[in-house]
Amino acid sequence: MADLKLVNIRKVYDKDVVSVKDFSLEIRDKEFLVLVGPSGCGKSTTLRMIAGLEEISGGDLFIGGKRVNDVPPKDRDIAMVFQNYALYPHMDVYNNMAFGLKLRKFKKDEIKKRVDNAAKILGLEDLLTRKPKALSGGQRQRVALGRAIVRDAEVFLMDEPLSNLDAKLRVQMRAEIQKLHRRLQTTTVYVTHDQTEAMTMATRLVVMKDGYIQQVGAPKEVYDEPNNVFVGGFIGSPAMNFLNGRLEENYFVMDDVKILVPEGKMKYLREQGYVGKEIILGVRPEDIHDEPLFLDFSPETKIKASIEVAELMGAEIILYSKVNDQDFVARVDARFSVAAGETVDLAFDLNKAHFFDKESELRIK
Amino acid sequence: MINQLRKIYSSLLVYSEGHDNLDSTYKWFVTGENEIIGIDEEELTSKDVSLLATFLLPYNINLPVPTDEERKWRNAIDSAESSAKFEIKNSYRFIYFSIKKNQIDPIVFKDAIHELFAKPVPILWGNGHEGIIIEEQTVYEDSISFEEIKDILMSDLYVKINFYIGSYKESLEDIAQYYHLLINAAKKVFIYTNKTVVTYIDAVPYLLINQIEPGLRSDIGKTVLQKYINDEETLKTIETFLQCNLNISETAKVLHMHRNSLQYRLDRFFEKTGIDIRQFHHAMTVYLALLAKK
Ligand SMILES: Nc1ncnc2c1ncn2[C@@H]1O[C@H](COP(=O)(O)OP(=O)(O)O)[C@@H](O)[C@H]1O
Ligand SMILES: [Mg+2]
Repeated sequence: MADLKLVNIRKVYDKDVVSVKDFSLEIRDKEFLVLVGPSGCGKSTTLRMIAGLEEISGGDLFIGGKRVNDVPPKDRDIAMVFQNYALYPHMDVYNNMAFGLKLRKFKKDEIKKRVDNAAKILGLEDLLTRKPKALSGGQRQRVALGRAIVRDAEVFLMDEPLSNLDAKLRVQMRAEIQKLHRRLQTTTVYVTHDQTEAMTMATRLVVMKDGYIQQVGAPKEVYDEPNNVFVGGFIGSPAMNFLNGRLEENYFVMDDVKILVPEGKMKYLREQGYVGKEIILGVRPEDIHDEPLFLDFSPETKIKASIEVAELMGAEIILYSKVNDQDFVARVDARFSVAAGETVDLAFDLNKAHFFDKESELRIK
Repeated sequence: MINQLRKIYSSLLVYSEGHDNLDSTYKWFVTGENEIIGIDEEELTSKDVSLLATFLLPYNINLPVPTDEERKWRNAIDSAESSAKFEIKNSYRFIYFSIKKNQIDPIVFKDAIHELFAKPVPILWGNGHEGIIIEEQTVYEDSISFEEIKDILMSDLYVKINFYIGSYKESLEDIAQYYHLLINAAKKVFIYTNKTVVTYIDAVPYLLINQIEPGLRSDIGKTVLQKYINDEETLKTIETFLQCNLNISETAKVLHMHRNSLQYRLDRFFEKTGIDIRQFHHAMTVYLALLAKK
């Protein structure tokens, strides 16, 4: 049982590089929390402060209710997996898993108990006498996880553990790690720059940028209700489209293109004084439609789009086009074939769209 | 606090950090201010030691006893006599390591390092948290990189380690110079990069900049970067562009920025400074200026 609490955590590296700024978060017991954001936003720094590998410049860190700012890493009851994680090349699987415990002077029979248990969980029982070079990529990764499991720790910390794997193995290992988490229920903090990984694995995710938390929430929550332009654009692939225009009574206007804004949205935009102002419309590629039925029902959110590129992805086609000289991307069903060079009707589902303040880039709600 | 403790323990000694050869008949602790204090074991009961450990960090001074191999190397470095030299079979290189102070028991570190190589590698300790690993050049198919070693040790030993990897040498000639230059360089390079594994090749620009006298150094930063000297956002963009080998798409991806916005930002930089960062020699100048600024 361990929950984590970070209160106004800050990290300043020597000189005055502030990498993490005022980071406050409660991580619940048994949670699989993912820190996600572009490179350099402070994910690893945050994780290493939790681990104790990096000093905390300001704020308080609690693990299981106990303040641990000054507790050395080895006494924090954590287990860690990192990106360049490898196995000891000259040891067999059993000893690879046992070694960390040997270094910490565990008794032989305790080590055996733990290694056998981890091997069972990971399906490695038949491989215990193999050397790393006789293992497949997936098996090696499982041994790496096994080395963390035998620690029997309260908290797992993982920093981009799958980044060095090829795409196929990465997908396989995502599932493996999730399965493991369901079984062990160990509180986990997982760092990745890959939003797909974050979306598929997290019970909750924390989107970071420039050392600040941008948003915390369940994947679907963050996807459906992004706090700001950055989060909207970062989470989701292809990314959310952002169109600059002006709000008029009942319409979002880009020069000669007018798109009807539903009354539900118009109401709060009007109340907050956005009528007559420049504003950003955010709409996800899948909320732009080409099905005849949808087009028929949406005469006033319909535009003529000349398709620049059409990428067939199997069941879907990704269309690249422009409206009012601004790029946008639509993801439509491949039933209706569309090719580059054609001009087609597309309609925006404004009920699912968002508006953002032009200055602050915050979502208007 | 130290004065109060001294009233209780008359043998108390205080050292600032970096002091080697601590007396092993003393118990050593690290204070919150990173001072190392020692008290004669004669003066301490085991209860005292536990009590002190509640507010001071016990400091482990036990270095592994040097092996014959390690003594041989140490002797070759320290002694001017040619008789101190010995036959070597393969090329070798020195790898400097430094661990955060007091995060590790050197004996445990040695055990872990030995398991990572085909045979035990000599380790020359400078003090309890830094030293040199001597690695022979061999071609084992299952050898692993120092990037990997760093991550393995971080998980297994809960330590953050920096490695500075020297060039290969074929003989013991000038070994003392090699050793001292390597240690000197290692202590400087980590100012300029936040990578934890740095090779002597990576380090060349850092060392060049470090040699320049401070006035000229800050002048280079200012004259090249001009009005951008405090524009952290643009400088970060440029730095990333350089790290991505001047590849626009790659940079845009890493920064999570639109290609066009990136192009625009670089164009602006060109307009304002006359520096076209897409060209190698301009890129190199800006790179040095960025280092000079650190
Ligand atoms: N050891 C260090 N010294 C100085 N700056 C650092 C160090 N490590 C990271 N940084 C800086 O802190 C910021 C956050 O880095 P990091 O936590 O590694 O980001 P992420 O893991 O999200 O890519 C970056 O600007 C990086 O350059
Ligand atoms: Mg990172």
